[in-house]
Amino acid sequence: MKRHFLVFALGFALALVAGWVVFPRVLYSHQGQPVDFLHKTHAEKSGNADCESCHAFNADGSFAGLPQNDTCAGCHSDKLGTSPAEAKLVDVYLKTQTTPPWLVYSRQPANVWFSHSIHVKRAGLACADCHGTLGASDEKRLYEQDRISGYSRDIWGHSISRLRRAPHDGRTMSDCEDCHHKRHVEVGCFGCHQ
Amino acid sequence: MKVSRRDLLLGTAGLTVGIFFTPVPWKVLDDVSVWTQNWPWIPQPARGPVTTKLASCTLCASGCGLRVRMAAGYPVGISGNASHPLTSGALCPLGFAAHQLNWHPARLREVRHRGRTASWEEARAAFEKACAEGPIAVVDGRSGRAASRVLQSFAVRHSGAYEVVLTAEEKALLPYAQWAGVPVSDLGYDLENTRTIVSFGAPLLDGWGVPGRFTHLWSERAAGAADPQLRLIQIEPALSRTAAAAWHWVPLCQGTEGLLAATLAKVLVEEHLIPAQGPLPPASLTEAATQTGLTPTAIRDLAYSMVERRPTLAIGPDDNPAIAALNVLLGSLGTPGGIVRKSSASSATSQISTKNVTPRAVLIDSTVPWEYIPASGIEVFRFAAWDGGGNRADWLLPSPGFLEETTDLPTPPTSAHAVYGIAPSLLTPSTELKTAAEFLQQIDATLPTIEQSIHMRCDAIFRRRRGSVHGAKPSPITGFESAAKFEDALRAGAVWLDESPSVTPLKCVLKAWPTGNPAHTSGNWANAWAPPVLPTLAGKLYRESSLREAPQRSQS
Repeated sequence: MKRHFLVFALGFALALVAGWVVFPRVLYSHQGQPVDFLHKTHAEKSGNADCESCHAFNADGSFAGLPQNDTCAGCHSDKLGTSPAEAKLVDVYLKTQTTPPWLVYSRQPANVWFSHSIHVKRAGLACADCHGTLGASDEKRLYEQDRISGYSRDIWGHSISRLRRAPHDGRTMSDCEDCHHKRHVEVGCFGCHQ
Repeated sequence: MKVSRRDLLLGTAGLTVGIFFTPVPWKVLDDVSVWTQNWPWIPQPARGPVTTKLASCTLCASGCGLRVRMAAGYPVGISGNASHPLTSGALCPLGFAAHQLNWHPARLREVRHRGRTASWEEARAAFEKACAEGPIAVVDGRSGRAASRVLQSFAVRHSGAYEVVLTAEEKALLPYAQWAGVPVSDLGYDLENTRTIVSFGAPLLDGWGVPGRFTHLWSERAAGAADPQLRLIQIEPALSRTAAAAWHWVPLCQGTEGLLAATLAKVLVEEHLIPAQGPLPPASLTEAATQTGLTPTAIRDLAYSMVERRPTLAIGPDDNPAIAALNVLLGSLGTPGGIVRKSSASSATSQISTKNVTPRAVLIDSTVPWEYIPASGIEVFRFAAWDGGGNRADWLLPSPGFLEETTDLPTPPTSAHAVYGIAPSLLTPSTELKTAAEFLQQIDATLPTIEQSIHMRCDAIFRRRRGSVHGAKPSPITGFESAAKFEDALRAGAVWLDESPSVTPLKCVLKAWPTGNPAHTSGNWANAWAPPVLPTLAGKLYRESSLREAPQRSQS
């Protein structure tokens, strides 16, 4: 009887290890950004920690998203230092007028319409409310892509169980709904899925 | 240690149970559901700069203001333009889903001749042959446009007939136009000054007239109030969306609207609620009660409700002359809050010339609804962007779809305010697509062009120096330096709005109480659209959302 229990427990334990440890490592592929970029270094060296200095809003209030080459060239029209990443940015992208194929951690799927303008300007949310400490990070973070859904890991959240998450971790539809419920802002299906 | 069969089974059982204490089943289920939504053959909008452009809807004559969200040069989302002077941001369900129409499976992309693929050259040769053999009828769905001028000019020059298919709202104005001797396109409803509306089945809160115009009035003056400033009495057999929201719903038997209108007129006069003028209907209260299913008391109470707060306006869903005669008795013709004449600035309408001869062929513009059935025995050249089916057409000629052509937008049928706009082309159509006007211009190069007509119209409006231009912000037309700049503003999505019309009396003499009671037809937004062509999103919006109503209400 004891042997039977041990065999069952072994199978159970194997499943736990596979599900909690192996599965997340297998599920996500890892890719580096086209150019190593450190938010913290840029904020410190430019003396401007304001997100909007690079991730600006257009004149009509819409969000411009990732900075264009012109913004980068404002400082890096020529090499400022000896960093290989900067050399790659200048030689491969800025001089050839090619936009780096950035891998966007928080990109929503095509069937979702999300307005930064409404959330930041009207609702008064801070960038960190959704993006956490990304703007102050000094790590060369890899882009993790779900092999099945194709989405970034940031959509599901770093915690595979979605338990004990940081407030900004995860951008699934239920995360949006939870935040809206907390703030008593009701949005129907067509608010986002237009 | 020997591993027995039982060990294997127990280990597998442990694994199976254990896996449910991990995120694997739940995460895989979620991922697979996402994966099924993103198969490679499902079209995805291109990634690119997202911009918003102002435009106007061209799916019907209302010309609702649109804010079109464009991604990488393609429209990916539509919402109402809150700065539009008539629609104020409201749209019908079809308007919200209109950007999907260009990719609809029923989209026409090639010339078809009796079911087989043909070429534009063959169609042109066949049409020229028909022109040479006999008179041609040209059918237009919306008069007063620059394209209408081309169609009408061709018909006149080739001794043909030019016919306009009226909308349900225009048909409802037809009796007044005949009695007062004015073009139907010159008449409109002064809803803003009305205090009681008696609707005989017109879907006022469901796409009637210009979407947003009445729903805005309703939300501002009536919605939710027990004793509203604007009373809507809906007389209709079924509890429609409009009936459900109305101040008072009067259910009656199908097809007895005309009889009830006549009886109400008689009660109003006999009870001295309105001055006796003109002929009285030969109606009996008892007989009307039997046929309509209402009690005599209910009919009498209804008559009192109608005149409790005046001005009162009766609106029918079609050309029911009894309802029109009721308005004449109520004195609602040519008075504030009634049926009024539009300002002179809007009178750039086409004269309809219909000849009583059987044409050799008929050319039908893409603005004509699919329910229009041409006379049998003649060759039909039908322009359409989508194949609505169920219609006999010898030639199906593909025309530009939504936002694929530049066209102008004259005053919508029910509006008392003259407006003018230009719906810009936001997409470049395929060279295989042609409008009816372009097709006729290739046959007769001396016809006026659409661009010329638009320039002339803008110039004429600019020279009057009246009204205001509603773009991102409203500004008086006097603020524009030239007609060209005024036209540029219209091409960028702005709309010109004339000053409020000065109400002039309309002389209308009724010699006898009109007879005839046309079959009831509902004229809501979906009528002109064959069900196979409706995008799924339109139906979903209709059932599940309040987006088409006044924006303030949908946000609350």
